[in-house]
Amino acid sequence: MLITAPIPAALDPAATLRSRLTGFSGFLHANGFGVGGGDSARVLATAAQVGILDREVLRWSLKALLCGRVSEWRRFDPLFDAYFLPPNRKAFVEGAVDTPRQHAPAGAADDRGEASPAKRSKNARDEPLLAAHYGASREESLATTDFRELVNADHVRDIEALMRRFARRLKHLQLRREARALSGRRIDLPGTIRRSVERGGTPLSLAWKDRRRIRPRLVLLLDVSRSMSAYSFFYLRLARALSAELADVHSYIFHTRITAVSEALRDADPWRAQEKMHLMAAGWGGGTRIGECLRAFNRDHAARRVHSRTAVIIVSDGYDTGEPETLAEALVGLRRRARRIVWINPLATRPGWSPTSRGMQAALPHVDLLAPGADLATLEHVLPDIIETLR
Amino acid sequence: MAEVATLQQQLASAGYIAERSLAAALLLMIDLKRPLLVEGDAGVGKTEVAKALAQVRSTRLIRLQCYEGLDAHAAMYEWNYQRQLLAIKLLENDERSMALKEQDIFSERYLLKRPLLEAIGCAQPPVLLIDEVDRADEAFEAYLLELLSDFQMSIPELGTVTATTIPLVVVTSNGTRELSDALRRRCLYQYVDYPSFEKELAIVEIRAPQAAGELAGQVVQFVQSVRRMDLQKKPGIAETLDWTAALLRMGIATIAEDGAEQLLETLAALIKTRDDRTAFTREVLARIAATC
Repeated sequence: MLITAPIPAALDPAATLRSRLTGFSGFLHANGFGVGGGDSARVLATAAQVGILDREVLRWSLKALLCGRVSEWRRFDPLFDAYFLPPNRKAFVEGAVDTPRQHAPAGAADDRGEASPAKRSKNARDEPLLAAHYGASREESLATTDFRELVNADHVRDIEALMRRFARRLKHLQLRREARALSGRRIDLPGTIRRSVERGGTPLSLAWKDRRRIRPRLVLLLDVSRSMSAYSFFYLRLARALSAELADVHSYIFHTRITAVSEALRDADPWRAQEKMHLMAAGWGGGTRIGECLRAFNRDHAARRVHSRTAVIIVSDGYDTGEPETLAEALVGLRRRARRIVWINPLATRPGWSPTSRGMQAALPHVDLLAPGADLATLEHVLPDIIETLR
Repeated sequence: MAEVATLQQQLASAGYIAERSLAAALLLMIDLKRPLLVEGDAGVGKTEVAKALAQVRSTRLIRLQCYEGLDAHAAMYEWNYQRQLLAIKLLENDERSMALKEQDIFSERYLLKRPLLEAIGCAQPPVLLIDEVDRADEAFEAYLLELLSDFQMSIPELGTVTATTIPLVVVTSNGTRELSDALRRRCLYQYVDYPSFEKELAIVEIRAPQAAGELAGQVVQFVQSVRRMDLQKKPGIAETLDWTAALLRMGIATIAEDGAEQLLETLAALIKTRDDRTAFTREVLARIAATC
């Protein structure tokens, strides 16, 4: 039986079943899934279509219906279990199903009935994970990085205004690609012939082709280590404002590891965005490993995120506890894919600063522009240079 | 469950090994008449899903390959201007009224059907494969949304063309660009990962039956180890099959540590970038081969 929650005898079982099913999309929504209003009706339709007696078929069907991206896809199974199966019965039911899940160990089908100790410990590990899904672990992650400023209203408007200007300037960047236009540099022959049809084949009015304006894609790699703590919140706000302005912006934060934060930053609710960042950065410690993080970026994300129109913007103070050779190597790899690499260093705004740290020394030969930028004023100052570099 | 297993079996006989979850999603897609968005790394067999589905349903596969700058004309329809012009010249001495002539010039005879228009006009529902939708522009995505929600298309000169049958739409994406939420919400979703050892072995055995037995197991073991390495371009299933063919062609019947020299000569089928190629020295090959 699928629904294992105790059902009061007075209630109509069919109604309870319906509300349980329709409640699932709300549960996913609370966990940050992009499910909409019509989805609970679709859940009912799907359940009616595939039936509810076979748990796995229902799971796969709802998974296909309600997931919209990889991150949701990967989180769906534990959430499905948490909603439809009470935790203490999970191991039991898992063993009792005839067909093991795809990634279940080969022996899973044999140990029906009593749960093995290994499975119990797996469940025990799952519990705090689910608690985390509800966003309960704020205190412990506060110790790592301070994302609170993300929702602070001061300055937010200024940042948004600056990013709007930046986005507008980016729109003027031209890349060589032609499209039909009202007036332009070259005649669009098929278009001209098409127009001539209405004049019986005499090409009286010409159609034109012109260069189309395509913005470069931006990839932001933000250092959120302790040494950057005074600046990281500012840059996160900036990334958030920029993501709202441009569609093709991809943000990552790094410290000892690198994590994609684009989705969290795009969250319409700033509090929830902050909460997500806390969860992502939870448990990070030790020094900044810029080189290793960039290498991880090259390995895991660059193939999909970085193409020949991509500008990679790294924001870091360059204090790398790893080997400088790793950093140089990673930057060489990144350079080969990206159109431009810009490094923004907040410390560079200080008078008398020079890029003498080992990290900066290693990075300098491989970046197109090293720009100082610690706050709105200094950044506004270097923005023309950055745009010029992205050209 | 029986239906899922049946479809899985049918897909297998069409040469496609599908996970149960994928088979379930395909069934749901057929029942609910909603498009299926398939995401995953390059080379995990996203496009093959549509091909196998078309074969199982014994229907046509209509493919729209997306690319940067793809516009509505290339995807939906275009008038055959040259023929229209020719017709105008020929009709000059015709006695019919202007309105009739015009009707003739803008009739379906002069319409070049592109994949999307073709797909909604078939007698039997075809499988419409919209491949690598992330390569197309956002503007095109908006066109696509309109089609996928109503399955109708408006052609100014002809009026609205409504679908005679609703095609089975498979949309694939490599994730090079973030797709709009609207498109994601309109579709069912399936993420395809690199295959497990068992699944890949089944694929090799079904697609390259000559390699069945010891070699197939070794090939798959080898490729799975290669995927765990730090590579720019991980080999997909197509590479596994190519490599198997290369091994067979070279007459290599077993992968062994001392055969590393020979393996080096077949790597062109498996490793596709220069950097990755330099990582594969004779020693590395011998070490991986020893574990197979």
